[in-house]
Amino acid sequence: MKNIHYIIALLLISICAFAQKPSQKTEKDYYEIKTLPIPKEIYLEIGGIATMPDGRLAVSTRRGEIWIIENPYQTTNHQVHYKRFASGMHEVLGLAYKDGAFYCSQRGELTKITDTDRDGVADLYEPIYQFELSGNYHEYTYGPVFDKNGDMLVTLNLAWVGFGEGKFAKWRGWLVKIHPDGTLEPFAAGLRSPAGYSINQDGDIFYGENQGDWVGSGRVTHLAKGDFAGNPGGLKWAKEPNSPFRLTLEEIQDNGAPMYEAAAKVKNLKLPAVWFPHAIMGISTSDILQDTTRGKFSPFPGQYFVADQGQSKVMRMGLEKVNGVYQGFCINYREGFQSGILRERFGLDGSMFVGMTSRGWGSTGKDEFGLQRLVWNGVMPFEIQDIQAKPDGFEISFTQAVDVNSVKKAASYALRSYIYKYQHQYGSPIIELKDLKISAVDVSSDKRKVRLVIDGLRQYYIHEFKLEGVRNEAGEPLLHETAYYTLNQIPAGGKLAVQSANRPVEVAEVKQVEAKPAKKAKNTVISDAEAMALLKKHTCLACHAKEAKVVGPSYADIAKRNYTDKQILELVYKPNPQNWPDYATEMAPMSHVPAGDVLKIASWINGLRGKALLNHD
Amino acid sequence: MRNIFLFSLLSWTCLAQQPVNLTDLSAFKSPSANWTIEGAVQAAYSDTTFQVATGKGILVNTIRNGKYHRTDDLSFGFSHGDIHLMFDFMLPKKGNSGVYLQSRYEVQLADSWGKKKLNFGDCGGIYERWDDTRGKGKEGYEGYAPMQNASKAPGLWQTMEIDFQAPRFDANGKKIQNAIFKKVILNGILIHENIEVLGVTRGAVSTQEVASAPILVQGDHTQVAFKNIRFETYDKPSVKMGPVAYDYYTGKFTEPVIGGAKAVASGKLDRLTYKVIKDKNDYLIDYKSEIEVPETDEYEFQSYWTGSGVVKVDGVELNQGAHWYSEMVSAKTKLTAGKHQLEVIQIKDFPWGPQALGLYVKRIGAHPVALHERTSLPDPEAVGLIEVKANAEPVFQRSFAFHHGKKKTHVIQVGDPSGMHYSYDLKQGALLQVWRGPFLNATQMWENRGEPQTSEPMGVTVTLDGQFPLVLAHQALADSTELVYKGFRLKDGRPVFMYQWPATNLMLEDYIRPNAAGTGLERTLTYKSTSPMQSASELVLGNSYHGIANIHSNLIGLQGQSYFVQWDGRPGEVLSPKNGLKQQRIPVQGNEISYQLIW
Repeated sequence: MKNIHYIIALLLISICAFAQKPSQKTEKDYYEIKTLPIPKEIYLEIGGIATMPDGRLAVSTRRGEIWIIENPYQTTNHQVHYKRFASGMHEVLGLAYKDGAFYCSQRGELTKITDTDRDGVADLYEPIYQFELSGNYHEYTYGPVFDKNGDMLVTLNLAWVGFGEGKFAKWRGWLVKIHPDGTLEPFAAGLRSPAGYSINQDGDIFYGENQGDWVGSGRVTHLAKGDFAGNPGGLKWAKEPNSPFRLTLEEIQDNGAPMYEAAAKVKNLKLPAVWFPHAIMGISTSDILQDTTRGKFSPFPGQYFVADQGQSKVMRMGLEKVNGVYQGFCINYREGFQSGILRERFGLDGSMFVGMTSRGWGSTGKDEFGLQRLVWNGVMPFEIQDIQAKPDGFEISFTQAVDVNSVKKAASYALRSYIYKYQHQYGSPIIELKDLKISAVDVSSDKRKVRLVIDGLRQYYIHEFKLEGVRNEAGEPLLHETAYYTLNQIPAGGKLAVQSANRPVEVAEVKQVEAKPAKKAKNTVISDAEAMALLKKHTCLACHAKEAKVVGPSYADIAKRNYTDKQILELVYKPNPQNWPDYATEMAPMSHVPAGDVLKIASWINGLRGKALLNHD
Repeated sequence: MRNIFLFSLLSWTCLAQQPVNLTDLSAFKSPSANWTIEGAVQAAYSDTTFQVATGKGILVNTIRNGKYHRTDDLSFGFSHGDIHLMFDFMLPKKGNSGVYLQSRYEVQLADSWGKKKLNFGDCGGIYERWDDTRGKGKEGYEGYAPMQNASKAPGLWQTMEIDFQAPRFDANGKKIQNAIFKKVILNGILIHENIEVLGVTRGAVSTQEVASAPILVQGDHTQVAFKNIRFETYDKPSVKMGPVAYDYYTGKFTEPVIGGAKAVASGKLDRLTYKVIKDKNDYLIDYKSEIEVPETDEYEFQSYWTGSGVVKVDGVELNQGAHWYSEMVSAKTKLTAGKHQLEVIQIKDFPWGPQALGLYVKRIGAHPVALHERTSLPDPEAVGLIEVKANAEPVFQRSFAFHHGKKKTHVIQVGDPSGMHYSYDLKQGALLQVWRGPFLNATQMWENRGEPQTSEPMGVTVTLDGQFPLVLAHQALADSTELVYKGFRLKDGRPVFMYQWPATNLMLEDYIRPNAAGTGLERTLTYKSTSPMQSASELVLGNSYHGIANIHSNLIGLQGQSYFVQWDGRPGEVLSPKNGLKQQRIPVQGNEISYQLIW
């Protein structure tokens, strides 16, 4: 009898082997986070980072200090050494090192700091430019970023008085250029919270914006001289004689129609290059860096890495120019940083230093501040390489050859498009949501590119691609399956002929029967593992955890409220912040999550109550 | 006591404090010959005696019959229980006196200027108790040193504020509560808070503690001068409130106005409380009650709420507006004796923030009366102090800072291990204030989001005029200047500020550091470029709205002798640029000029 069992076991094992999925790869398998230890008495709330050519790293802090760190790459030893170089400044949110001197932005001054006697401590603080301030705490000043002419780019945050905007000091809401002789050249306006910006290798300037008044969701916008990026808080200064444009608040429509409608009437209203959908792709977009490390930093040379303060993660952005306009996609890259990210800078070895602070705001990474380094281990992940717009759809390229069957199945994809309102109110829900149908799929001969012909492309809208079913030839899923493409322009050119050969394969759908509680087996609640998978898929874990309080309440605390599953569904679709007054960040409506999934999560949450009782008996 | 009572009945417009008459000695009981009334007093910080000028308003003690005669102590004419007492005092070098509340509990007055280690015998200390029976060397016990040294230099007017609660006794005369020094504030610095005195202090007129007794001032050690003595006692009756009826409404109210809304709940309460409110926000609650006013007088309503609200008495709106619960809103009104209608309406139209509702009524001469349940006003947030210390080496820190009520945005604070610090306006090349003690409180800048972004001095502060001190000869001192700030370089760890002064086209440096004697700060202004213009410039030693006291040829007292300015003694001139304002100037010779601030 024993032999029969043995044979059956072997048979079972071999059957399982065919059906078995390869073990799921995670971000940690490719992108490593190194943490630099910080002595307990240093409040290293990082605002600026400057990589020094001698192997040291300089960071500036919200407490007005510049620290120079020795051994930041931790090559032979994990300890790093801190020496305070400068101090006493008023919140330094940007730092640059040039020709032996530091340049930094305090709230009210762009300052040059020099160590004239070279004893390791700064002894000369010179103002390059003094900015006017109203005294409001929200008037942050960021920079400088040097351009190739030696001019310094500085951005100026708007004031804030709890609701609406505050009294406006000069040039607040603007990107300005300070020339080496100390003169100011106003460059672009319409900014709200421009904490992160940089210049790409073509000399083009990009900045990250935060959801807020007039800003439906976070986004990255290309700024050329004279551009108006959308928030009218700084328009008072467009009346200045040296302003590159003239515009008044009255000329801007404020009815909640999408931004592109307003842009049709305001010539210099600049639409974002890439929208970062709120709560999914961050809640407070911060720094942007183009990967110019020629393959050292990431598998995506030339693409951009965009950080988020609230969700403590780095995301990836790919850009192209269509009809002379920048557009492209964003996709997750690496989450799990220790605090809210404000600053990114490349080290000498192509790794990226990530500077963090979240004092005063919640962030997924719970430390109040931190300094980490993001390193690629060189192994190629299976990821979306790039997405390019086509006259009739998109072409998605992959880092590895795809399994052709998986990309030809319609069920492998969930595609939809949507947009945000443009209005003076704070933020916006997703509007005009439409599911999209793929009419043709064409795979390149090297199986690295897939061209999708899509019904119902809408210019200006965000096109969301969820490539759940796409596999590589080893049967592995994508490391990140969802990307969000902002289609500012639809390119002209040849369309793909749609034939029966390239139609997507529709598998007869097995109708998902909604769980009928009365008839189902006793245990209808999904397992913890299934719940975690759903929560991760729908990005709930960005703000919630099972037991711990993060950006939002824990599931255990939610369970204690005794909501019915249906009430949880209603609250997920239309959150009620007054239910949780102790939480600083309001939950964004998550009405795009399928109801079936929300109900599964809801019953799992409610199941936590019973478990809690069991555990504590 | 009776005189004061009649005085307050007769006048509606009472000052917050009752002044003590110092035109003669009639406010005191049989003063000895040591005590006189004078018109002016002055001394240099190194003088052990005063110079006086005849006149009225200043009470001066001068030792005429030798030291240590208790008969030279001065007793006030009125007796007090609980009292809030404020006065100005001046001591000469090595001065020593004291103020005994109820002739029994002494707050020491002494020259402790510059002392590092303090005990109960230093200025503002609560003196020790004394019992001969405890054995030789152990007779002295208890006594409390001030929390920090808040003394100013001898020869300067200092301020003292004492909030004292008398001991309480039961019907049999047994003490059931110790006397308490609720607050003692010296020169604006809180030096004691809620210290219970277990018995009378050394030198009290009696070991027997009582409900009421007069103030006694020590006059047997050295000279001492007093002016501006004022107090409040708490013997008068105040308002009483009847039961409260409330109506509760839900909805989006943006103003505390009911309009046509219909109440969803109603009830009765003994006192006001927010705890009957069921919702976190989007509600309006209307409380109504009757208050009984014992005597016609002015009554102050002090309210606390998170959200918006209005307090109405007999339909007249008093306290109103949108506030956070930690902000007290005050409104005063005259009420006749008898019954009045009180109404409080409160709304909260946002989900965040703790609910709170508090209402006190304060009548001068009576303790505040709480019309709310204690639990209706939550405790404030417990925020720990974030302090910047300058103990080891000079430290500087930029922040926003208030000066004369205005928020300045380009200010730097410089702290020094000597304990003398200053704040400086980088746009104006102007000293804003100087202080002595711990350096800087940066909690408002570095706690949470740091919404005020200000920092505050932590020591005895002298506020200065905030103006650039150099001026062209015979020209008016500008309220603000067109200086071009060029940055600062460090010298011995301290900033040297660099400017270009467009009026003269000269480059100059401004360097401030502790003076050689350690008594104050020395400021040196140096012209770095040359031009005949520099000899046509003058230095303003100071501006004073309260006269300039000429103490020596090189020493003046400014702002009612609240600080000294000392220089090399070169003669200058005193101008009166505005009504009531005096300004002393000296000429600049060569390319450098210095002066010292001593306080």
